[in-house]
Amino acid sequence: MYEHLVVPPRLPCVRDLAGRTLYSHVAGQIQEMVLAGPLGEETVLPPEVELAARLGTSRGTVRRAIGDLEREGLVWRRAGSGTFVNPAARLRRVVWNRLKEVALPDARFHYDFNEFIPDFLGSDRCVEAIGLLPEYRAATTIFIAPDNSLEALRRRALDDGKRLLVWTYGLRRGVLRIDGHEVSTEDRRLAATLDGMERFGHLLDYAELSSIGAIDLVVTGAAAVSREGVHFGKGHGYFDLEWGLLAELGVVGQLTPVVAVVHDCQVVDESVPHAPSDATVDVIVTPSAVLRCGPLPKPTGLIWDRVPRHLARDTPYFTEMWGERTRGRGAA
Amino acid sequence: MTGTDVTQVEHLQALVREKVWKQLREVARPDSRFHWDFSSFICDFEGSDRCADRVAALRAWRDSELVFVTPDNSTEAVRRIALEHGKPFLMTTYGIRRGFIHIDSSRVPAAERAYAATLDGADVHGRPVTLNDVAAMPRVELLVTGGSAVTLDGLRLGKGHGYFDLEWALLSEIGAVDERSEIVDVVHDCQVVDAVVQPAPHDVRVDWVVTPTRTLRVEGPGHPLGRVLWELVEGTEFEAIPPVVELAARQGRQLQGTGHVIL
Repeated sequence: MYEHLVVPPRLPCVRDLAGRTLYSHVAGQIQEMVLAGPLGEETVLPPEVELAARLGTSRGTVRRAIGDLEREGLVWRRAGSGTFVNPAARLRRVVWNRLKEVALPDARFHYDFNEFIPDFLGSDRCVEAIGLLPEYRAATTIFIAPDNSLEALRRRALDDGKRLLVWTYGLRRGVLRIDGHEVSTEDRRLAATLDGMERFGHLLDYAELSSIGAIDLVVTGAAAVSREGVHFGKGHGYFDLEWGLLAELGVVGQLTPVVAVVHDCQVVDESVPHAPSDATVDVIVTPSAVLRCGPLPKPTGLIWDRVPRHLARDTPYFTEMWGERTRGRGAA
Repeated sequence: MTGTDVTQVEHLQALVREKVWKQLREVARPDSRFHWDFSSFICDFEGSDRCADRVAALRAWRDSELVFVTPDNSTEAVRRIALEHGKPFLMTTYGIRRGFIHIDSSRVPAAERAYAATLDGADVHGRPVTLNDVAAMPRVELLVTGGSAVTLDGLRLGKGHGYFDLEWALLSEIGAVDERSEIVDVVHDCQVVDAVVQPAPHDVRVDWVVTPTRTLRVEGPGHPLGRVLWELVEGTEFEAIPPVVELAARQGRQLQGTGHVIL
């Protein structure tokens, strides 16, 4: 059952200050084991006693180390059954380790990939490739995620006179509409950034977003994407929520093309399971290739059970939609 | 000051901060990542471009070959003026996490200036520099910072992490600033507090308070050079800040090292 688990060589432990260094060192070793496992599968860790023996440490230290990894979402424990690896978290970690080599830091979050989708070396080549896609050329209105990897694409789309819809970071303050025709040439560089876009865009209210009409193309970044077209975000589910909300409004649907822009190292060949609420992609564009996927079915709306409570409570559109829904229920 | 006293002072400062933040919300501009969470960033506000004009009118601005500007949203207009004037400046990356960067304003094309003045653009146009590099540059005679609140006697409250105090300390320790270097705090009028607030040990007083409507010279003894208070650094995330690591090495000091950081 655990054949794939390779025990990394035990490094000399420099210090053992109140156990801190020791258990974090052990956490690092267990993490290495977890990351060496098969991508996409929910594997089980050996029991604590066995891990302790294999790592030459105490059971208490192993438990504390696993507690750390659990808080980070990499594993979860079920009493009586053992410690399970979260496959999506593992996949992200594995890809992030590769991505570090080519990623560019964020102006606020630096290299903390939990918080943002980084730009990477070669993203300009992705922009050229997208510029040639028939889906892009035909598009008037493009939904582009507020990912750093898409900054150059936003610039290009403004140059091409497209109308952009960009959610503010973390969905928090709604969707901006930025019209390429309304931004002067010298302002487009700034208008394509997160810091600058609000100065040139118009923040849509719920009524405006509902009546925006069909979106011709959706472009997103990703932490990772499977060759089959399963999208992995930074772990907050933002893209699934964005897609779900737009699908509820009827402005995107099964036929709306979805493009993911990623570095080659973010594409995983393994088949990975996905839930019906996971947004999927049709085309993967990397600096060196254009990959057509699927088609996999796309979510047809929001699965409210998976919408975080705080979003339903105080996030533009989600609040209104939730209100309509609960009122509708009350009437029925 | 004992540990308990410091905690009390910080608590009182937090109350002042929160009171000001309520008024500030009316004139503030949200951050592109942190939105309205004022504990994570120093916000820009209506009229910050007029503050920048006032800063550029100061004698120290004209005299200083190199200025330091914090990576606050409220100082973006100051960075834009520096770019327009061809005045080179130093800044830190957000939270000093990737250390200092130097922007050679004369080399930034006119069409890129507004972009280079933002945090997103500063990363593209700035060059990362070590404390060693900074020590070899002309002395910084003017430092421009934003803040959450400032008293009439020049006590500045940041967002509560002590980043500017640490920046001042780092620049002091390597001789990049001296006692005559002037510190300007750029704030909205609603951030100027007419009250006596007790300083924490690391708090730096400013020489000028500049608002959209006023330029106030703070009378008083000025500010001493800063020192990194290692007891406040040890065991915190500050230990991972590159210039802090560099300074510790310069001073032959052993840092404990932070706990394990995954990724």
